[in-house]
Amino acid sequence: MKIGVFICHCGENISRTVDCPRVAETCEKIPGVEFSIDYKYMCSDPGQKLIKDAVEIHKLDAIVVGSCSPNMHERTFRSAAVAAGINPFLVEIANLREHCSWVHEDVESATQKAIELVRMAVEKVKRDKPLSKIKVPVTKRVLVIGGGIAGIQAALDVANAGYDVVLVEKEPSIGGHMSQLSETFPTLDCSQCILTPRMVEVNQHPRIKLLTYSEVEKIEGFIGNFKATIRKKARHINEDICSGCGQCVSKCPIKKKAFSSFEEGLAYRPAVYIPFPQAVPNIPVIDESVCTYYRNGKCGMCVKACDRQAIDFDQKDTMMVADVGAVIVATGYKLYSIGKQPLGSKYKGYGEYGYGKYKDVIDGLQFERIASASGPTSGEIKRPSDGKEPKKIVFIQCVGSRDPAKGISYCSKICCMYTAKQAMLFRHKVHDGEAYVFYMDIRAGGKMYEEFVRRAIEEDHVNYIRGRVSRIYEENGKYIVKGEDTIAGVPVNIDADMVVLASAMIPHDNAPGLAQKVGIPYDKYGFYNESHPKLKPVESTTAGVFLAGACNAPRDIPESVAMASAAASKAIILFSSDSLEREPVVARVNEDLCAGCFYCRKVCPFGAVEVRDIKDMNGVVYKEVAYINQGVCQGCGTCTATCLSKSIELAGFNNEEIFAEIAAL
Amino acid sequence: MDELRRFARELLLKKEVAAVIGYEQVGEARTRPVVITDPDECRRLVLNEYCLNNLVVYLNRARIKALARSKEGIRKLAVVAKPCDIRSIVALIQENQIRRENLMILSMNCHGVVRDFGCEFNGDNLAAKCISCNTQSSTYADKSFGEVREIPKFTGKLEYDLSEIEQLPPSKRMEFFREQFDKCIKCYACRAVCPLCYCQRCITDKTIPRWIESSSHSRGNFAWNIVRALHLSGRCTGCGECERACPMDIPLSLLNRKMAMKSKELFGYESGKSTDNPTLVGSYDQKDSDELFM
Repeated sequence: MKIGVFICHCGENISRTVDCPRVAETCEKIPGVEFSIDYKYMCSDPGQKLIKDAVEIHKLDAIVVGSCSPNMHERTFRSAAVAAGINPFLVEIANLREHCSWVHEDVESATQKAIELVRMAVEKVKRDKPLSKIKVPVTKRVLVIGGGIAGIQAALDVANAGYDVVLVEKEPSIGGHMSQLSETFPTLDCSQCILTPRMVEVNQHPRIKLLTYSEVEKIEGFIGNFKATIRKKARHINEDICSGCGQCVSKCPIKKKAFSSFEEGLAYRPAVYIPFPQAVPNIPVIDESVCTYYRNGKCGMCVKACDRQAIDFDQKDTMMVADVGAVIVATGYKLYSIGKQPLGSKYKGYGEYGYGKYKDVIDGLQFERIASASGPTSGEIKRPSDGKEPKKIVFIQCVGSRDPAKGISYCSKICCMYTAKQAMLFRHKVHDGEAYVFYMDIRAGGKMYEEFVRRAIEEDHVNYIRGRVSRIYEENGKYIVKGEDTIAGVPVNIDADMVVLASAMIPHDNAPGLAQKVGIPYDKYGFYNESHPKLKPVESTTAGVFLAGACNAPRDIPESVAMASAAASKAIILFSSDSLEREPVVARVNEDLCAGCFYCRKVCPFGAVEVRDIKDMNGVVYKEVAYINQGVCQGCGTCTATCLSKSIELAGFNNEEIFAEIAAL
Repeated sequence: MDELRRFARELLLKKEVAAVIGYEQVGEARTRPVVITDPDECRRLVLNEYCLNNLVVYLNRARIKALARSKEGIRKLAVVAKPCDIRSIVALIQENQIRRENLMILSMNCHGVVRDFGCEFNGDNLAAKCISCNTQSSTYADKSFGEVREIPKFTGKLEYDLSEIEQLPPSKRMEFFREQFDKCIKCYACRAVCPLCYCQRCITDKTIPRWIESSSHSRGNFAWNIVRALHLSGRCTGCGECERACPMDIPLSLLNRKMAMKSKELFGYESGKSTDNPTLVGSYDQKDSDELFM
């Protein structure tokens, strides 16, 4: 075998601490190495040409490149090898940058280490076997998890491209938080007016299968071939028969037992309810926890009211399985709980602001409901406590956000804008009202955003005070907001009628749980991680799973929509061919040696290990052995490491190859 | 004992089982394993304090398995097992080596066994694993034989005390084990008697490439004994057969016991306790300590 060694300087990244010409010179003497050279940028066009020419001139059979991490340019060099007529798996990368030059200072010892690394790669490449890519089929259907604006957009984009979509929403209606908002910044157009047409489109789209009041139980499989198990929770209403007339809702005698979560606890809802008038689908749900029937078997008013016999008290949760090729996760966010620290929570809460204690200290979403024309006050600004019109409202920004002491370091990004909007709406609706905003900085980066905030200050005369609020307490029917104006350097006391807290966006409580079901990583807050913060912002690190909206980080509506379309296009790209080419780095079991303990099956994260029966000549099974489905295996090597008798080999990283590498050290 | 013989004979006569694996007496204070297929031979079976072997090891032997296999399919095998041996059965079932439905477990109600053949059964000569035994009878067996009697109180002295060895500084401990392992002659008797060492080809016998140094000098001895301890961690049920079989008297179970203690301490796991438990290797619980991640 004739091996070529190519040492890259990576500009100065490697050559600063590694004497590249010396590495190339020394490595030429390793038995088997026919040709060795160093070059400033091996990944550049001339660099690749150098490789191709050397292969031709020196009749090379295999290549070792000493360069950056294989994560960066393995693909480049493999392609160069293919162009020169060498199997791409006869290319080894010795990582001289991340593993050597970047982590060492001393040139002499770093150079020695670089030589050792190349020597290891040479020994491995001598034993490498040519491998060819594996083709796996693609199921051209997408599972979208979450029916907020991001999920809706992603579903519509994929469906309009001509592929089937399964959209799963855990609430009874799609729409998400956007359906709760009053007007949206920076244009002040009505949130529901722009959202509901999209919701209707989803419901009517022939390619979208909408599963509301449903949750993903588990996802198995791999890119192109996922199998999702979805639990459809019992609505206790037969969806096929219900016409959505709402008779059951109006006849339900339970009026004041359950708070409406759509109204953010500012209104009651009956035991059988439709979350909001424009809900999609327009089918009610029976809340077992408050319904009289489930307590004592009596009542049944809704049954009498329904002229279609759609009420089904015995309905049970049902499970369904969907085969999909890609998953778009768009599960959104929830608001930081501002009150006292909830049990077991890592967030400290703001007991000092009296949220939960004072009825008129509310959070941003509650104010949205109060300002919304469809809300509990029909859009008139009224205090939750006594229904009076507040004349003085204090808005406090960064409640939770940017406050590591309370558990969150990040900026929630949308609060500066929505606080300006809410103060503006208040001023538009209550002409003699005074609005105060306590802020840390104003972060209005976005098209028309800064202008919008300036408009709130200059045209609508919202009083912006730079500083934090230390405490809120009640005195003579007023809420005394004790803060500080850090620009004037004076303490500020405001006797407000109402206080609105712009609390942080945080992931849903079960975000880590869902991440584990889907198999994607998340950060310490529970936000799902993107594959690369700059270049792969909508891909999760799991192939075929994409992210959209606020489940990834705080996002506003336009960003969520853009992300959703990006995620949809990633899925559509995946579906552009009928089969996927996969790296042939997969595990194989030696059936003669396999003892059939199936530890490999227990540890495989992809469910790739199957049971294969070995029969004697009478057809009686005398042994069971592990069999690895080549299409499912992702080549992670967990089974290989677990196998007690070392009966599993990972192609491209087999025992002999690895051993030779170690022995070369 | 007579009841066992009668029962085993019936099983074979009715062809309910293909063979009975049990103990037969050889001399005054010694038994040996016997595989019986002829119903009349069942009179050879015995049950006493000298039934030392863990017969479960035979259940996974190719030749024994072949006895149970015929054109018609798989027949059951009957095995005589002490309650502690039954833990090995549980572990083997968990690891897919045998199936409960292919087994007839004949358990003995145990009141301890001697530490070695030829000894008189009394407190001085009680086997180490019996000292703190709390499972004298089994609920997992198909049938139990003999009456439950109290285990004699241990009055002897243990040659090696695990807690004392744990107290030694690392260098002393190293010295202790080096001395012990230096005695190893690589006969692999420990491997042959262990019910959980069932690999068709042990990793020490793998030659391309040879991961485990197999010579019987210090390095190879260490490699073998440490691999053995690691491969059995979270799996060893503590039957102690390895130590009994060792012709060089290496206290092999020390490391196994230490690993078992750690499994219990860190994960609350005891091998061979119940087939309902997921195996320690290959199972993950969100409550598992994060400290163990590297």
